[in-house]
This record gives sequence, C-alpha cells and structure tokens, in this order.
Amino acid sequence: MTSAHTASAVSADAAMDRFETQTGRYGAWTMIAGLLLSLAGPFYLFFFTDLGLTWPMILTAFLAVAATFGVFWIVEPVTYFPILGPAAMYQAFMIGNISNKLLPAAIVAQSSIGAKPGTRRGNIAAVLAICGAATVHLASLLLFVGVLGTWLVSRIPADLIEVARLYILPSLMGAVLVQAIVSMKQLRPTVIAIALALILQFAVVPFAPAVGMFATAIVVVLSIVLSLIVRKRIGNGDAGSTDTEEVLVN
Amino acid sequence: MPMPAPFVLADPESTDIWAVANTPILWIFAIGVFVVIFVQTFLYIRAARAAAPGIEMPMREIKESFRAGAVASVGPSLAVVLVAIALLALFGTPAVLVRIGLIGSAATETASAGIAAGTMGAELGADSYTQQVFAVAFMAMSLSGGMWMLCTLILTPILRKGSRTLGKRNPAVMALVPAAALLGAFSMLAVAETGKSSLHLILVLISAGVMGLCLLIAKLLSVRWLREWALGFAILITLFVAYLLHTPVAA
Repeated sequence: MTSAHTASAVSADAAMDRFETQTGRYGAWTMIAGLLLSLAGPFYLFFFTDLGLTWPMILTAFLAVAATFGVFWIVEPVTYFPILGPAAMYQAFMIGNISNKLLPAAIVAQSSIGAKPGTRRGNIAAVLAICGAATVHLASLLLFVGVLGTWLVSRIPADLIEVARLYILPSLMGAVLVQAIVSMKQLRPTVIAIALALILQFAVVPFAPAVGMFATAIVVVLSIVLSLIVRKRIGNGDAGSTDTEEVLVN
Repeated sequence: MPMPAPFVLADPESTDIWAVANTPILWIFAIGVFVVIFVQTFLYIRAARAAAPGIEMPMREIKESFRAGAVASVGPSLAVVLVAIALLALFGTPAVLVRIGLIGSAATETASAGIAAGTMGAELGADSYTQQVFAVAFMAMSLSGGMWMLCTLILTPILRKGSRTLGKRNPAVMALVPAAALLGAFSMLAVAETGKSSLHLILVLISAGVMGLCLLIAKLLSVRWLREWALGFAILITLFVAYLLHTPVAA
C-alpha cells in the first residue's frame, strides 16, 4: 500500500466523519422540529376546541395503540439502521413509507452508479436518493393531495383507488426484491434470506400467527447472522487490508 | 374545556369530520412539516456535495444518485397519493398529508386510528365516528408516530457508535451486514404478500418478472435509463393486471 493511498484513505475517513457529524446534527434538529409540528395539530384540537376531549380518553387510546405498535417503535429503527446508515435514519423516519418507497429508491440509485450498500459511496448515494425521493414525494403530495385532493376524490373511479389500495404492496415488493438481488450480487445472503422468509411464512407463521408481526425483523436478524457465519473468508490476517480496499472500491 | 376558539365550529357529536379536520391551523402545522423536510433535504444535499470530493466520488454520481432516487420514487409516490386520496374522507387533508403521506404509512396509521376509535366504542367512517372520535384518533396516531421519531432520535447515535466500533474491527463484516439486512427485509416483505391470496401471489410474480425483464434488456442493450424507470413500469403493469383480474365482490 503506497503512502498516497493511505493519505487518500485518511482524507476519505475525515470527509465521511464530517458528513456524518453534519447530517447527525441537521438530522436530529429537523427531526425534533418535525416531531413538535406533527404533535402541534392534535394538541391544538385538545386545548383550543370544545370537543370535550379528556386526558383519560387520550391515554386509553394511546395505550391501546402502544400495545399493538409499541414494539415497532424500537424494532424498526434497529432493523433499518444497518440498511440506511446513520444519516439517512433521520430522513427515513420523518418522510415515512420506508420499505415501499425510500429503500427501493436507495437500491436503484446504488445499482445505477454501481455502489454497494454500507460502503462510503453507497451511503452517500442512498442519502441523495432519499433526497430525490423526498423531493418527488413532497411535490406530488402537495399537488395531488394538498391542492387537488378534495377535487380528485370525486373524479377518480372508486374501484381504481380500491385496486391501488389492495394491491400496491404485491405490485411493488416482487420488483424491489429482484432489483435488490441483482444489485447486491451476493449469492449466499440471497439464498439464506429467501429460504428464511419461506420457512417463516409457510412453516412458522401458520402455527404461531403472532410471529407474523415480527417476521421481517426476525428474517433480517437471522439473515445477518447466518450470512456472517457462512461468508467467504478470503484468508485472514494480512488479507484484511486488501479486503478493506475491495469493500471500498465496490 | 378551555376557551372555545373563534374559528373552529366544533361539536363533539357531529359526524362532519371535515369541519374540524380541515381547520386552517391544522393546515399550517401540516405545511410546517413539509417545510422542515424540504429544509432537511436541502441541508443533506449540501453536506453530501461537500463530502463527495473527499471520498473521490465524482459530481456526476452525486447528480445521478439524486435523479435515480427521484425517478424510482415516481411510481411508489403516485401509489401513496392514490391511497391518501382514498383516506381524505376519514381524516381530512392536513392529517392525511402528515400521517399517511409523510412520517407514517397508510397501513400503520389507519390501523392506529381504528384501534383508537375502538377505545371510544366507535368505528372509522361509521355513524359513531364523530368529531370527538376523530380528534382522539388523530392524537393517538400522532403520539404513536412521535414515539417512532423519539426512538430514532435516541437509538441512532447509539447504533452509530456500535457500528463504528464493529466497522473498525472488521470492515468486511460491516460490508456484508447491510446487504444481508436488505435482502432479508425484502425477501420477507415479498413472501408475506404471496400468502395473502392467489392473486397476490400472481402479482408478486408478475412484478418480479417485469423487473427482471427490464434489468435484462437494460443490460443487453445498455439502456441506462431503463434501470431507473424499471420500478415504475413494474408497479404500473402489475397494478393494471390487478385491475383486470380483481373481482370487486372480494373487496
């Protein structure tokens, strides 16, 4: 390894460090602002209208929702972190629609410039892809829902909306899975992930339906663990540095 | 209750949800969330452009990543729009924009609202769904969504620290983890759809087939733009097939 090489690796580390510190700060502050604004609406109704809202009513409703989704408040950030990286976390959980929009956008961008997730280029590409997706998403929401929504609701045939509502996920997920497999080019993790998903769906969930809600998190964790266990080990010791280079160039 | 606001004609028993749900103040808060995300996007793009030279990533790739993300999200965004429009009647425009369009997703938020309404002995869209029930449901959705954001705020720095330590010790592992996580997530999400009905199974296969075909053509004829538009095509073609095969009675 030449000294020029090392120097550029150091400066790359520094650039990436600065990027993560900056986005961490911007991300946290904008997310706090988003959190407060999203709560302002319902609290306005609570305090300033005569709808007869009481704390016990709110608490009961909140606890009922928490009983269903409370686990996901923690499970989802932990599940998506390895895919998104720290910077994109603050984007994803504010923009929402993570698995059906943001992750597909990130995969398309990474495969478009030939970068692997988890690498520096891959992380920057994912952040920018989410920026692109956010721009399109905000614009289309503002126009079609914000401005035209109440008019469109009377114009679009009800059965079309119904079909979109019922079948958007299968229409999306098949394609995204194929795109992910093709752009990752990692045979073993692919086989492991699909096998685990099939086992869970057809051998576990039918007998323990409660597991179904956590199926994604379970498959993600097991895919990581099993992929690490069966990974190709390109030698040890010395090979470590070449391994790193390979990871970064990819 | 405290002072009645002058411009909200609220009536706990009324089923005219829009009278409360489309209040100007709620619009202002909803647009505030949009502004915050625009600001965040702007700051992130600036930070990414500044970092690019340091990691030897050409500006061309910066632009291409942004464009690819934008193009790839056209299909999913329009799908979200369609679903959001379908839910306007239940929640009004500001709540739909913030809860379904942003932050959450249609499935989670509608479920939360339904559960919250249930605690009031009411049902979404039924005669029991009054302005008061709407306000409770809106509050419950927002608090639950707020908890997601709070956990993200707390967990991200912790996870970042953990992954850095791991990354320093074994970079090869850190390269494999995201790929395995991604493949795991989408394998399960896709397989879960196949189990819902035979039509769902057919649609997943068609969607996968269209994507495979697009990527193959893109590779053989080196058509770059097709890789970016492939997701949009796959969604549109599959939804069109769904529209043809779908029997309204089943819904």
